[in-house]
Amino acid sequence: MIAMIVRRLLLMPVILVVIFTTTLTLAWAIPGNPLQRGEGRRPQPEVAQAMLAQYNLDNYWTFYWSYLDSVTGLKHVRQTLNGTRARRAETARQEGQAAAERYVFDMGPSLHYVDRRVNEVVGSALPVSITLGALAMLIALVTGVAAGVVGAVRPNGVADVSTLMVALIGISMPSFVVGTGLLVVFSVWLKALPVARWGTPQDMILPAVTLSLPFAAYIARLTRMGMIEQLGTDYIRTARAKGASEVSIRLRHALKNAFLPVLSYLGPATAYAMTGSFVVERVFNVPGMGQHFVSGVQNKDLFLIMGVVLVYATMLILFNLVVDVMYRWVDPRIEQ
Amino acid sequence: MLRLLIPFVVLLLAVVGAVVMDRPRPRADFVFINRGDVTTLDLQRMSWQQDLRVARMIFEGLVRTDIFTAEFEARPGVAERWETSADGLVWTFYFRPDAKWTNGELVKPSDFVFSWRRGLLPDLASDYFSFFALIKGGRGFFEWRNGQLEEYAARASGARSQAAADGLWDEAVARFEEMVGVVADDEARTLRVTLGHRCPYFLDVMGFACLYPVYPPLVRQYERPDPMTGRLIAEHGWTKPPYLVSNGAFMVTRWRFKRDLWLEQNPHYWDRASLSLRTIMMPTIDDPNAQVLAFQTGAVDYLTEATPAYRGDLLAEKLAFYEEHREEYEALKAQGLDQFEIDRRLPNDPRAHIHAVPSFGTYFYNFNCRDVLPDGRDNPFKDRRVRRAFAMVIDKASIVEDVRRLTEPVARSLVPRGSIGGYTPPTGIACVSDFAEGSPERAAWIGEALGLLAEAGYPDPARFPTVELLFNKDSGHDLVATSIARDWERYLGVSVVLAMREIKVVKADLQNHNYMTARAGWYADYGDPTTFLDLNRTGDGNNDRDYSNPVYDGLLDRAAAEADAAARLGLLAEAERIVVEEDFPLVPLFHYVTLMMFDAHRVGGISPHPRNEDNVYEVDVLTDGLGSNVARVLPVTPAARAPEPTAAGAGATP
Repeated sequence: MIAMIVRRLLLMPVILVVIFTTTLTLAWAIPGNPLQRGEGRRPQPEVAQAMLAQYNLDNYWTFYWSYLDSVTGLKHVRQTLNGTRARRAETARQEGQAAAERYVFDMGPSLHYVDRRVNEVVGSALPVSITLGALAMLIALVTGVAAGVVGAVRPNGVADVSTLMVALIGISMPSFVVGTGLLVVFSVWLKALPVARWGTPQDMILPAVTLSLPFAAYIARLTRMGMIEQLGTDYIRTARAKGASEVSIRLRHALKNAFLPVLSYLGPATAYAMTGSFVVERVFNVPGMGQHFVSGVQNKDLFLIMGVVLVYATMLILFNLVVDVMYRWVDPRIEQ
Repeated sequence: MLRLLIPFVVLLLAVVGAVVMDRPRPRADFVFINRGDVTTLDLQRMSWQQDLRVARMIFEGLVRTDIFTAEFEARPGVAERWETSADGLVWTFYFRPDAKWTNGELVKPSDFVFSWRRGLLPDLASDYFSFFALIKGGRGFFEWRNGQLEEYAARASGARSQAAADGLWDEAVARFEEMVGVVADDEARTLRVTLGHRCPYFLDVMGFACLYPVYPPLVRQYERPDPMTGRLIAEHGWTKPPYLVSNGAFMVTRWRFKRDLWLEQNPHYWDRASLSLRTIMMPTIDDPNAQVLAFQTGAVDYLTEATPAYRGDLLAEKLAFYEEHREEYEALKAQGLDQFEIDRRLPNDPRAHIHAVPSFGTYFYNFNCRDVLPDGRDNPFKDRRVRRAFAMVIDKASIVEDVRRLTEPVARSLVPRGSIGGYTPPTGIACVSDFAEGSPERAAWIGEALGLLAEAGYPDPARFPTVELLFNKDSGHDLVATSIARDWERYLGVSVVLAMREIKVVKADLQNHNYMTARAGWYADYGDPTTFLDLNRTGDGNNDRDYSNPVYDGLLDRAAAEADAAARLGLLAEAERIVVEEDFPLVPLFHYVTLMMFDAHRVGGISPHPRNEDNVYEVDVLTDGLGSNVARVLPVTPAARAPEPTAAGAGATP
């Protein structure tokens, strides 16, 4: 198991560099000048050119290497080792200057939100996305597994068909429809929950429920299939024969094995819920990561695009690793 | 089996942890939605409206503009009084003794010099450089510094070091003092500004937020010359609380990216007694539907721009409300009351909470005036007769009534009528919708347009080169473009292709003159016609049409030198006439309207002036018992939206 974890972690930088190169090449090809704004007067041409050079935006390879240099922390390490950082801090202190904000893994400045660095942007958005994603997955797991177990009690019975119907709706309805519908009912008509706010548990209910629906539906179907399959196996017949109660058979014996496909689905699903919830974020005005994917591309904010993609990729790789570890832990057969 | 619960428990802990970490604050006295999150609070780098709006709340310039006067008069700000020399070139500002920064320090005249120097540095690339360049020697300093930096960049790398860059910077500072006409006397608390040429709108520009001061001891800490290029590198750590020091009515106490910005009264503000809000909150809500919902549920008091797809329907409901109270409404309107005051005197109704307010901007279509397109093709629009013919047949009424449905007035001039005191924009020419459908007049008008095409060498419109129309999809530009393409095809018989591009591409194509016709728009920055007319000056950075007419440039130059205000405006009106009646580098379609939402019975302090600017620090919640609780109103509604004189037949021949 340890070998597996080490191998996967060693592979991670390689995957990230491939993702970085691909994304940068694509993002670089977006037409338009990243420093050009949608409104306002234009800077003088010579100034515009100098600004491009200042951000290394005038040359693909300069940008490629300088970004890689700072985002991997190499620059930070180098400057610490050769004493540049210490010297700068000392000069700044002498001249009464503020020490510049420097991150180890520096993702650069945002080109659109010029007062912010990408590390700050990600730092404020990521906890929000993680909270929303975690809550949504929690709701999805509880409702999805419950619905799957209930449905499998009597396949094609009333309970099964109705949960399947709900699941189908959950998967096929786009979240901007569900979200807007929930907003209108609970916030505008019933005035029970707030609109477009984030912070308190009440604020999180509607976005989390909306985000959880497709996942809950998928989990319900996975659980149901697994349960039906397990309930027909020999060991269940043995358990029945030795007189175990029906509840114990279903929850202790069958669910344990029926849950495995859900577990393997959980990794990518959680990563997706935590970062790919752009539509839900927009409808409920959640200050998470998803919006930066879209606004980054719209503004051609190269630093932001790269930062968000790299963070997402890292999360995806880590979640898959965690799930694989848990998988082996829950089901020791996989170890061999 | 218990192991299966582990993911549940981990997730639950994550959620509980996040909730515990994040404690909400009580509701602020006033909550408003800006256009988007602020991109920067560095005054000299600002360009977006949402940034300027916040800047006006937390910083204060030499003067403040009074948005409740027809002429947008300048009122004392940091300067308690000022005087100007007989030739109008030298301005002396006398600072009030109690103008203070949020840390209690006095606002000094030299703080302005420091800030304006930032605005004149090519290193920081201020979009509003042209305002700073009004000061004598400003443009010269900018060019000198550019040359100095070029020389430095060309040096061998051995000759470039931190010490060399620092020396370069010291030289620039000394040079600024020599060259630029601004002298601060911190002892006498005066600032003397010498202008390069007479500027009747100088005080108006002084009310513009980019010319407000930043706090030098703070900002200096974040700026240092770069040893590689010699340029001043500006970090922005200082723009966020708790570091930010400002000098306006309010101060930022919390700014969470893409979430909210919290403001409290500046305890050292000299005019604190006039404020009737204690706290202001600005949540970032990007989705237009969510914005309207947040307003309708009472979470938000003021929505500065309502842009949901159904905004036309919201407005139609308001008109229905007026219709129900027709007599009362007409009577109040006849009294000359401003539109918010009229709403205040009518019964309160949620349908009345949306307001269509005239804006200081115009929507127009560009014609590329170059002889040859960048790809080498011949450009048919180089001929002003062609441009005129295309302008004549646009059905402007249909665009505002059927396509936009936002009560925007049809435009025949670039400058909105009544927005600038003393200035009467030219009449412009008619368009096809000024003549009744099927009337002989309309047929004659179209015939005249076709005649112009024939004169220009296109007797058979079917052989006219395919017209390319460049636009971006956002905000319904696609609908306007379709409507215009249909008019050109229908009335002129030419073929049109729609080139829909993403906004950044449109902007780049405009700048490179890589188009035939294109959608465009312009919002004014200050109260003078030149804010619109400079757009068509030869070589201007925003002259996307590459239009060049020595007569036009000459008129602008003569106006700049003209001492008599009325004569000057006359020259400018003549210049505008050339553009909208003779040469048509562009064709104005309509003047913008801003849709805002607030309950006029509850909220005062927002002005419906056509210059469309708000000072949120002046807002008064009329029902909260704080402040005067009496809404200020515009003295007499400016005649801004009076129906334009009919131009049918006017200026019929080029």
